[in-house]
Amino acid sequence: MNRTASIAALIATSLLAAPLALASELTVNVEGITEAQGSISLGLFDQATYEGNGAVDGANLTVEGDRVTVTFDGVEPGEYAVKLFHDVNGDGEMNTNPFGMPTEPFAFSNDAKGRFGPAKWDDAKFSVTADGAVHTITMN
Amino acid sequence: MELSRRHFIEAGMGVGVVGALGACANLGSAQTQPEMPAWHLGYQNAPTNGFDPAPMKLAFGKPPVDLAGSLYRNGPAQLQYGDQSLDHWFDGDGLIHRIAVEDGQAVHKARFVDTKKRREEQKAQAFLASGFGTVGDERFSIEGPDDVNAGNTSVLMVNGELLALWEAGSAFAMDADSLETKGPKAWRDDLKGMPFLAHPKVEPDGRVWNLAVGGSRVGIYRIGASGVLEDFGLVDIGRSAYIHDWTMTERQLIILVQPWVSASPLPPVVAGLEWQPQHGLQMLIVDKDDFTNQRWAQAPARMFFHTGSAWEESDGTIKFDAVLYKEPVFGVDGGGAEIRGEWTGETASETGVLTQVVIPKSGDARLIETRIVGEFPQVDPRFRGKSRNLVSLASGASGNRPGATGLATHDWTTGESRNFDFGDNRMVEEFLFVPKTGGSSDRDSWLVGTVLNLKAGVSELCVFDAANVSDGPVCIWQAEYSWPLGFHGTWA
Repeated sequence: MNRTASIAALIATSLLAAPLALASELTVNVEGITEAQGSISLGLFDQATYEGNGAVDGANLTVEGDRVTVTFDGVEPGEYAVKLFHDVNGDGEMNTNPFGMPTEPFAFSNDAKGRFGPAKWDDAKFSVTADGAVHTITMN
Repeated sequence: MELSRRHFIEAGMGVGVVGALGACANLGSAQTQPEMPAWHLGYQNAPTNGFDPAPMKLAFGKPPVDLAGSLYRNGPAQLQYGDQSLDHWFDGDGLIHRIAVEDGQAVHKARFVDTKKRREEQKAQAFLASGFGTVGDERFSIEGPDDVNAGNTSVLMVNGELLALWEAGSAFAMDADSLETKGPKAWRDDLKGMPFLAHPKVEPDGRVWNLAVGGSRVGIYRIGASGVLEDFGLVDIGRSAYIHDWTMTERQLIILVQPWVSASPLPPVVAGLEWQPQHGLQMLIVDKDDFTNQRWAQAPARMFFHTGSAWEESDGTIKFDAVLYKEPVFGVDGGGAEIRGEWTGETASETGVLTQVVIPKSGDARLIETRIVGEFPQVDPRFRGKSRNLVSLASGASGNRPGATGLATHDWTTGESRNFDFGDNRMVEEFLFVPKTGGSSDRDSWLVGTVLNLKAGVSELCVFDAANVSDGPVCIWQAEYSWPLGFHGTWA
């Protein structure tokens, strides 16, 4: 009986756990937002998509305080990076000055910084395991 | 007159001052390097926290009773970290000085501009940022020009707000009294992080014009005397020429496109600059009221850092003065040897000549060279953009050390040049025109500037009569310490 119950429980757990093992939950916290208006436009990238524009997932988060949070479901375990900008004026674009420099705040996962360009994949990447992940980015 | 006055100054100050102050002359300097030549005092670090307010001692002469205001100056003042020396003088952190003059008293104080570059380098006690002549450390993040902003070139006062100026990034707003840093200045939300040259031009009524240089594109700022941006526009100059300064008349902006062209955007900036004399010195003349109304003028190939000021004659001829070089020698070497204390005299041949550029309404420009060798040309602020007589320069070269030895003026109306030479013992910096009370000509001015007294090991504030600089200083105040040589200032 005990054995049967254990097996049943194991099967049930396996059935339940199987999809979770392939698709975890990733929570991204963005802190240190200086202007409580507009939205945070956030893209989740894997290595294949990081250099381009096609994120594997993304979110647009209304800013009402100094932080926002988003949870992505169904994220396959692996390495990811986040690029985000604060669309302060809500025009849907990352604004730049006449010479092309961003005039709205931006950030990368790991709080990574670029050098004459965006932060490098190796500096911005983090792991999402089968147990999921919580990643916090601090704007500055 | 010149020699006797100089000798009198040396006798009157040299003996007593060296005796009285020599022992403590370097207390204010972070480092004393006895193996270095005396002139290296001009290239040593200022104290990390700058200088707290300290009265300067009247060491010579009688201060003009009408001289009241503050000399603000800026210059690179972090030139070494331990054994690591900067490769280029243009890359040291800016130290903002204020020498307040009132009732015959002079009080000095100074603070560093608080930039990301300074904060991170102070923490690491090492140079990290890329710059004009510095490659930089790969670990130093650079997400925009202000991440490497040294804030070290000049200052501007607009409607009571003091700005520390660099050239490739934002101006930094400073508190004019405390000299504490407020942060990068955005003239408009969409202009955040735009470059703001260290040579804005202020019209006599207080309106400010300046340029933002980004490759072949040049932004034009028009800022009201109230400090509010009135207009911003873009023009194209055709190539990525190095632009440190420019000039203007009452009606026109004159952008000098020298044939010193950036062929690579990678740091250090100077390594990417190519001398392409086949282009000559081209000048884009832009109507202040309509930036699309432009014309080009052409002069023989010259390199320059600084102009005096321009004016337009009644027949439309434009004239301006500038210090012109046959080729860019100093800019390439950039004082790296001097910072290491290794001056050999080779740079003494790099002479910038005071030249008048005459641009006719049509046809090529003419260059009228004077015999004055110098730098840091200055004019009376009452006559910026207008016809005037005088230009002043730090002038004269020593065979024994870098830096200027004297002060010169040239009068374009009479053709007369005057100068005063301090000799080997003083390194002379920029002198500014300060109008005398009640005077109406630019000859009715004081010339106020700083010199580094190598014999006493202290910095000094000197005042000359602009009409008679060859008579020597009217008065000299002396600090009890020295600070490193700087670039440019303003009187407010």
